[in-house]
Amino acid sequence: MGGKITCTLGEVKNRADFIVYWGGNPAECHPRHFTKYTLTQKGKFVPEGRKGRTMVLVDIRETMSAKAADIFLQIRPGMDFEVATSLRALLKGQRVDEASVAETGLSVAQLQDLVDRMKRARFGVIFFGMGLSMTRGKHMNSGAILTLAAELNAFTKFVCMPMRGHGNVTGADVVLRWTTGYPFGINLSRGYPRFNPGEFSTVDLLVRGDNDAALILGADPGATMPQPGIEHLARIPTIVLDPKVTHTSRLARVHITTAATGISAPGTAYRMDEIPLPLRPALTSPYPTDEDVIRRIRHAVAKKPAWVPPPL
Amino acid sequence: MLRITGGTVYDPANGVDGVVKDVCIADGRIVSDVDGGRTIDATGMIVFPGGVDVHTHVAGGALNFARGLLPENQRVARKFLHGRDRRAGIGGMTPTTFATGYLYAGMGWTTVNEAAVPILSATHTHEELHDTPIVDKSCLVLMANNEIVLDLIEAGELERARHVVGWLIWAAKVYGVKAVNPGGVAAWKWGKNASVLHGPIEGYKTLTPAAIISGLADIIDDLALPHPLHLHCNNLGNPGNVTTTLDTMKVLDGRRAHLAHLQFHAYGGDDWPTMRSGAATIAEAFNRSPNLTADAGAILFGDAVTITADGPWQHMLHQLTGRKWGNLDVENETGCGIVPYVYRDRHLVNAVQWAVGLELLLLVKDPWRMFLTTDHPNGGCFWRYPEIIRLLMDAEFRKEQIRALPAEAQSRIVLADLDREYTLSEIAIITAAGPARALGLTQKGHLGVGADADVTIYPGKPADGFLFSYPRYVLKGGEIVVEEGEIREVTNGREFVVRPAYDEQIEEYLRPLFQKNYTISFENYPVEIERVRGADVMTPTWTRG
Repeated sequence: MGGKITCTLGEVKNRADFIVYWGGNPAECHPRHFTKYTLTQKGKFVPEGRKGRTMVLVDIRETMSAKAADIFLQIRPGMDFEVATSLRALLKGQRVDEASVAETGLSVAQLQDLVDRMKRARFGVIFFGMGLSMTRGKHMNSGAILTLAAELNAFTKFVCMPMRGHGNVTGADVVLRWTTGYPFGINLSRGYPRFNPGEFSTVDLLVRGDNDAALILGADPGATMPQPGIEHLARIPTIVLDPKVTHTSRLARVHITTAATGISAPGTAYRMDEIPLPLRPALTSPYPTDEDVIRRIRHAVAKKPAWVPPPL
Repeated sequence: MLRITGGTVYDPANGVDGVVKDVCIADGRIVSDVDGGRTIDATGMIVFPGGVDVHTHVAGGALNFARGLLPENQRVARKFLHGRDRRAGIGGMTPTTFATGYLYAGMGWTTVNEAAVPILSATHTHEELHDTPIVDKSCLVLMANNEIVLDLIEAGELERARHVVGWLIWAAKVYGVKAVNPGGVAAWKWGKNASVLHGPIEGYKTLTPAAIISGLADIIDDLALPHPLHLHCNNLGNPGNVTTTLDTMKVLDGRRAHLAHLQFHAYGGDDWPTMRSGAATIAEAFNRSPNLTADAGAILFGDAVTITADGPWQHMLHQLTGRKWGNLDVENETGCGIVPYVYRDRHLVNAVQWAVGLELLLLVKDPWRMFLTTDHPNGGCFWRYPEIIRLLMDAEFRKEQIRALPAEAQSRIVLADLDREYTLSEIAIITAAGPARALGLTQKGHLGVGADADVTIYPGKPADGFLFSYPRYVLKGGEIVVEEGEIREVTNGREFVVRPAYDEQIEEYLRPLFQKNYTISFENYPVEIERVRGADVMTPTWTRG
């Protein structure tokens, strides 16, 4: 697979004349994306703003975002990998079977048109959402789309970016990488970090019932996890730190109310392009910050004797 | 209070060359004498100032991108177990921050200079540096593709550019300025490169790489920064780039500069099949240029990860190797590219590269101007420095290695003809005293009274030929941080930051430009000084002549 060819969002604002959204609905899920970064802004090298840009939406249904698109390509559910791979083949001038492409809901002519436009672009970008990365094929789909963007660089400038969201998920990913070497799905039970998504990811641990306690910080798995995972959280000692009472709080043994980061607690949020943004609290809070609570728990735990002999 | 007694001291900055004498420490500094306190008996051992790495990549967005891109590297790397005072971590080619501190200290290095920081993500770099324990740190901000600065240089407004650069340095809370492939990264934003020093850069009418180099070098001298322009020349890695490097020296025309990882800029030939060492040509010109310092950027055979702001080169390397490719363009400022790479001793090009790094170290006569680096992790990992030291000190060992290279490589290098062997004092210069002086860190790299008590004590006789692999003791700020290869005390180092003088009104010029071209608010752009924990802020005072 090709790796990851990406940029910060200002590059898109200043340069992108060809923008593809794939498997995402920014109009409703990232409502400021079009206006702050991608479509309507006048960029340094796109002075015409929206008129100087072409937007393509690839999705399984005509969402609100389709209204903003110049071209909407509706594909059949679960066919993202096939479409991306066919695009890669066409890019390299390889023969593509009309009947196979038809199964994706599109025609070879449509795909060829898209490839031609991508190659003609001065600066192209593909944003992909969970409709691509979390549906049939999962990481294979992400791999195919990232490789497509990498390979387009043999013809023109092209970049690719996942549409991340949900609070500071990118920040968690960034900090875990510098502290453990891995972004998520990390197991520290041997005293050093191990990484295996599918084995050590939260959902896998919970569904298998591997963990015998849970500390939940800034997330609400009680609302999003599969039922067996939720049942396991209710079975074990679960501690929730959150400014609000969440679904998870209701099934936890302990809920500790903390100050809301960015409102009444300072910190750093990482944008989807991994640019750090300082958070300065506008209000004060009677509650402690997440950091304060974690430090106090850690301090108390450190006083206990080790349950395994310390490493030599 | 502490006394190191009986050791053979090498302190070249103070003219001490292998003298048995005591080194005394109080309150984290070297003092002339102490009364009482602990004594370390260093009889038969070698006492060095703690190592200083003038050019490394250990923290920030690009390195963290590489960690995520190459989890397979972490899987096979050395593991650091969580302990009472020690954090878990992973070594390898892109070590985690905590492991980075342990590995540098474990090798006897106590100061590191992170060489590539975008202003836009400088907060991130400082966070990582804070999480890098034991060692003291500094970092350099990327400036040679900053579009605001480039526009000013093109317009000939150097006076205003100076204020902008000064403001940007303080905004990023850094120690100095790095120039990577001047103009080339800006051109890469359109998929192009800038390999001709005197030709206009893609996207500009008249601006040339040469104008950026001389402009920035002047600005840095005017701002009186302790460290000169830290320059990654154009045309990195390409056969025949000797011409570009020589041209760059001409453009600098007596201005001071530090040429980073010179090995990657010293190739002769016209293309890959004819590539040959250009080290002799470069060293000859370099020897005649007292305004310049350089680091070797030597390569070692084995795995590496190439991480550089030189985006176009990385695209080429990806096409050449078919390996994974990461690229991150940073709005208006810079970019970075990542490609994993294996240097093979049976490969002609790699064999030449290996020789070029050593040739430069051996052919440059003044050790005070040529320092030991591998451009970690580009040419090899920093924790492999002891291997290079052995190659420099032991001509017989070196010749043995040369004989193993492909026959075709032998005629393209001059390494086999070089008999020079580094002395211990010279090793102390290229690993500590020299880089500290080039960085302008007056309290580092020596053991004179008043210096920071960063001291490395090596056993006198190496067990395995690699004299510098396992220090017996490492002291940082007077604390014993490593003893017999084990981390003893985990301290938090400082971060050196300069605050140059500039006209505060420059913000009124920058604000509208910023609001037009960036995607974060102007107020969020400068790093708040409170966020640089352990900051040691200094006013730059370098003077010409």
